[in-house]
Amino acid sequence: MSSGSFAYPIEPRPAPVRRKPFVSSGVLGMLVFIFAEVMFFAGLISAHTIVKAQTAGGMWPPYGQPRLPVEETAINTAALLVSGIVLLLSWFAFRRERSSARIPLALSILLGGFFVYSQGLEWTALLGEGLTMQSSSYGGFFYLIVGAHALHAVGALAALVWAFFRLYKGLLTETQLATVAAFWYFVVLVWPVLYIQVYL
Amino acid sequence: MSRLRTLVLALIALATVPEIAYACAVCFDGPGETRQAFFATTAFLSLLPLGMVAGTGAWLRNKARRADTDGSAESQDD
Repeated sequence: MSSGSFAYPIEPRPAPVRRKPFVSSGVLGMLVFIFAEVMFFAGLISAHTIVKAQTAGGMWPPYGQPRLPVEETAINTAALLVSGIVLLLSWFAFRRERSSARIPLALSILLGGFFVYSQGLEWTALLGEGLTMQSSSYGGFFYLIVGAHALHAVGALAALVWAFFRLYKGLLTETQLATVAAFWYFVVLVWPVLYIQVYL
Repeated sequence: MSRLRTLVLALIALATVPEIAYACAVCFDGPGETRQAFFATTAFLSLLPLGMVAGTGAWLRNKARRADTDGSAESQDD
């Protein structure tokens, strides 16, 4: 028996086809983070709903607790929603011509800053009226839910400011703007739900 | 023999000891409004992640299909 060796012609392996990713890693990562945050707020909303339902006599806000400024916060809500729309305009402007996105992006930051500042003023007034974390479950939930949102708003604003400076230097990429914008849209879109739940 | 004894004891325990085992005693306590709130929030917290995952899946699928269509159109152009 002979062990003959055969020489097969070796064809070069075809190069793997690399598809262009249809979603950038930044946006996908931000979406995963947003999902986690949506569940965090959903948990808070659920807890608030149950505590509200358990209140004796259905009296919410509880007796002796200050009422929340519904009208003033409606103006803040409008400012936040407009900032989201302006950011969308800035996105379209960026895709058309990068430098033209500067003004709408700056306007969006200013409107977001107005929202955070106004909420801060509202908190100061409410603390003065005696609504604290310890005053009741009403106060506790108010500061927890609205405070958690404010923390996110400040974080997203810082990201928008970072994006603005990069845009100013001509370094901002489309992926970076999309990632930062996704975070701001989350802050904008979750707020009306919280407003209806906590204030109305 | 000991296995049979264990089985009989388990059956007796199952038949006699608990009437209903509530996972969370709090959920079935309180007035109707509280119970309704528990049901509503349970449904909300259960469906929300499923909706988000389904929505993202549909969005990614749509994007992938569009990328495929664009890719095949480009290769036809070549």
